[in-house]
Amino acid sequence: MFYIDLIQLFTKRILQVLLLLLILIVALLVPNYAHAYTGVTVLMSADTMVNQEFIIHLKEELAGVKGNSLRVKVVDLQESDKLVIAENSELVIALGTKALSAASKLKHSTPVLGIFTPLPTFNSFLAESHRDLGNFSAIVLDQPYPRQMSLIKTILPEAKNLGVLLGASSSQYEELLKEVGEKNAFNVIAENINQEAELIPKLRLILDTTDALMAIPDTLIYSRETAQPILLTSYRYQKPVFGYSQSYVRAGALAAVYSSTKQLAKQAAEIAVKSQPTPGLLPPPQTPKYFSIALNLQVARALNIPLVDEKEIFKKMLEIEKSD
Amino acid sequence: MINFYDLLRLMAILASLFLASISTALFAADVTDENTASTPETNYIEGLRQRELSDDDYLGDVPQVLTISRLAQSAADAPAATTVIDRETIRASGIVDLPEIFRLVPGFYVGVNAGYRYNSNHVVNYHGLSTAFAGNMQVMINGRSVYSPLFGGLKWSELPLAIDDIERIEITRGPNAASYGANSYFGVINILTQQTTEAGNTIIAKHGNGRNEAFYRHGGKINNLNVRVTAGYREDDGLNNRNDFKRTRLLNAQADYRIDNNNLLEFEFGIANGARADGESAKDSVLFIPRERDIINHYELIRWQHTFSADSDFKLQAFHSFDSTEDDFTSSNIRANAKKVFITSGRSNGQATAIVSTFLNDQVAINNDIKQERFDLEAQHTFKLMPNLRGVWGANARLDTTYAPYWLGNQKTEHFNLQRLFGHVEWRLNDQWLVNVGSMLEHNSFTGTDISPRASINFKLTPKHTIRLGVSTALRTPNYVEEKFNASVLIPLTTPNTTGIAYSFLAKGNVSPEKIVSTELGYLGDFGRLSIDARLFHDAISDYIKTTRDSKFVAPAGFLLLSSPPINAANGGDVNINGLESQLKWRLSNKTKLLLNYAYINIKANEKDTAGNITKSSPKHTISTLISQQLSPVWDASLAYYQTSKVNALGDGDQVGLIRRTDIRLARKFKLNRFDGEVSAAVQNLFDNNYQEFANYNTLNRRGVIDLKLNF
Repeated sequence: MFYIDLIQLFTKRILQVLLLLLILIVALLVPNYAHAYTGVTVLMSADTMVNQEFIIHLKEELAGVKGNSLRVKVVDLQESDKLVIAENSELVIALGTKALSAASKLKHSTPVLGIFTPLPTFNSFLAESHRDLGNFSAIVLDQPYPRQMSLIKTILPEAKNLGVLLGASSSQYEELLKEVGEKNAFNVIAENINQEAELIPKLRLILDTTDALMAIPDTLIYSRETAQPILLTSYRYQKPVFGYSQSYVRAGALAAVYSSTKQLAKQAAEIAVKSQPTPGLLPPPQTPKYFSIALNLQVARALNIPLVDEKEIFKKMLEIEKSD
Repeated sequence: MINFYDLLRLMAILASLFLASISTALFAADVTDENTASTPETNYIEGLRQRELSDDDYLGDVPQVLTISRLAQSAADAPAATTVIDRETIRASGIVDLPEIFRLVPGFYVGVNAGYRYNSNHVVNYHGLSTAFAGNMQVMINGRSVYSPLFGGLKWSELPLAIDDIERIEITRGPNAASYGANSYFGVINILTQQTTEAGNTIIAKHGNGRNEAFYRHGGKINNLNVRVTAGYREDDGLNNRNDFKRTRLLNAQADYRIDNNNLLEFEFGIANGARADGESAKDSVLFIPRERDIINHYELIRWQHTFSADSDFKLQAFHSFDSTEDDFTSSNIRANAKKVFITSGRSNGQATAIVSTFLNDQVAINNDIKQERFDLEAQHTFKLMPNLRGVWGANARLDTTYAPYWLGNQKTEHFNLQRLFGHVEWRLNDQWLVNVGSMLEHNSFTGTDISPRASINFKLTPKHTIRLGVSTALRTPNYVEEKFNASVLIPLTTPNTTGIAYSFLAKGNVSPEKIVSTELGYLGDFGRLSIDARLFHDAISDYIKTTRDSKFVAPAGFLLLSSPPINAANGGDVNINGLESQLKWRLSNKTKLLLNYAYINIKANEKDTAGNITKSSPKHTISTLISQQLSPVWDASLAYYQTSKVNALGDGDQVGLIRRTDIRLARKFKLNRFDGEVSAAVQNLFDNNYQEFANYNTLNRRGVIDLKLNF
């Protein structure tokens, strides 16, 4: 399952290289790190509500596992001048990109699992730190494209043309998006944006020719500042926007797939427990396994889009995901 | 006379002062120059420097954009029929003047009018009953009411607005007092301008028969302040053989500043000035002779939007507007020219000669200056009470001041106060049934306190097919013409203790508001590429405000009545308007779009109790259609056809016959280095049918224009 998700995010070639690399590393290093970790250190980028929630859920999840003896220690990155972590006996779960960046500088043998991190950022930390995937992994914030597209298909069964705006960091996914689109009976139309001034004119182009806009995270395109022009323009064109976060849905996107902190904590706990005996063999970076959907009923009504019950949509999506 | 360049400089100074004042008020920090357009090389570097995605991009808060108040009801949930004209439709229509776009709204009649006293403008009229000043519609720009309290209606050409500033126009067909207040009588036009976030520079130029215009638009960012500015000049020679040229310089600016995720401040400013030709010797060769008058108007607006939660938000808006015309002039030789006027108004040749011989002077001075000012404050709260119940309520206070010495017969500035309280609730009983109920309570200086409720039921046969049944009421407060006009010209005579008096209006006042109860049965159908909006309506109007010649008028002691008895306004009888409106939008293919409108309007009234020709004051049948075709990725063409059956508008209107008019437009988009843009050519009245609009003195000929739009 994990590999399937990964294929959706990486090109096949990268995967092959990584797999080879992984096998090589494992073969070389496993004997040295046979001893299991005894605890989990949660490294927070900041003491936020979301992070606190995650920790509570993680503890709950770990407590629910029979025979589990993993302790949970919490370190706030903002509170500690120098990071002190028992690097040889801990699994480090880094919450947020700042924490992951700090954790990437730990001893290479310390297993690090990133949470609340976007895939492109994880990849750049991986490249910068020269760490290997066996002890540097993540549950990324990015939801798999097939899952996002099945949400769109479920809500708009008649939609054919799906618009995406891609910036410098997201343009690498264009081929993948088109491929996944084809499998979901969508014609994905992409516009590439090189500078801020192009945003609205290109958005208008997309809105003119497509049935919906699917937001692909890219800091050049989606930010607090651009939320208003993007959502207002789309609304004026009476075209729905599918977001990638709960906040974007609250702001005015029609719907989004997201994973709650509880769902991410559950998946993290599973990894923590499963990898305990073989700390150098963390599973590869993966997309969220458990997910929820966020809908903006007000927007649906204003666009006259009939929304069936949230549970119905979710059920349909699960069916689609299973049949894949 | 100020010359054009001085004015342009003045406008630029005003604009920079405005922008500087708001930006310095908002930021203690230094104001950096706005982002200059970057070359491809720096973009590449910018691309490399692009901030990395972080957890905050997914988990952080985003400002509420589509707040509950921004989200209009979908057409299927709305309590009234609405037509939305978007930017693309405006572009494809090839219109030259903004009011022409309303030809594409079912039930509207648009006519060019080259009037002669204070009005050389387009007549935009919905469901008839209107004079040159369509005072029975509410017109707003971004929610700011722009109709004139003096005559009602507005002078379209004087708005500090370029067509290219407009994002879309929402037209509510039918009374909507509960949402927009009094004078939302037959309908409401709300013009929405583009957002401030459309960055970049644009130059727009137009050249054609009797028409030239050039505009510069800039959108940019100063720290957290998004700004959009338009400045330009427009001149129009008007109709052939009419004295109706218009020269307008205009500037408008919009800025918004997001304080935080829940608070947004918006600023709007605009100014227009120029010259207008007025007067036609064929109509009035004595007093309101052909002349040029100067106009200036401006507005300033500030709006605060606060979001309490996803289900509740608040808006507070204040604006001021000022509108004036300078029209101080001297009549022609009254001795020489007045005689024939007396004869046409029924006096014998001998009587006419006798009167003229008593004139003390050869000429008489007329002060037709008009200054109008509006102060308006409005608060509005939109909320969701329960998942299936949402509502809006608010309050508004307005002060209109008017100085019009000729029309009001004195040198005073008149004050008109208005306060209103409004509320509207949308109650979704289930997926099929939806009820809208609203009401407005208004108090004003002219007619006291009144209430106008509305209610409608929408029933969804299926999610794509909706039936709507609604009853809506509204009031039309008498305007100054009807309530307070006292327009006359006094001519000193040689006869001792006697003054000659030429009257136009003498309003006796105490006119009650005109009332409308509009009932409609509407249908909305969505067939994928095809959508249909149709409605049957019945407008029952009572206390129609009619204008009559006061034949019993006797000139007061010491005055000799020179011309016909004055016009007075009084409440008259009932008017019933029945009809059908339909609108069809069809995307024939991805490259072909069709918009087709048809309206049938039948007015029934006793003309003696209301107005002569009132039953003919709207065309019975109007057809308008717009077909646009994408020919290639860069070429597109469109064709508009308008057909209007004969009509006899009130006031200065005459009977004008059937109109068949075809407009075409051809456009090519282009890209040249860092420029992109469009060149287009449009021909209006392609077959050169020399037909009349509004009055038989307005003859339209074929007109061609070329447009250039350059973005950089």
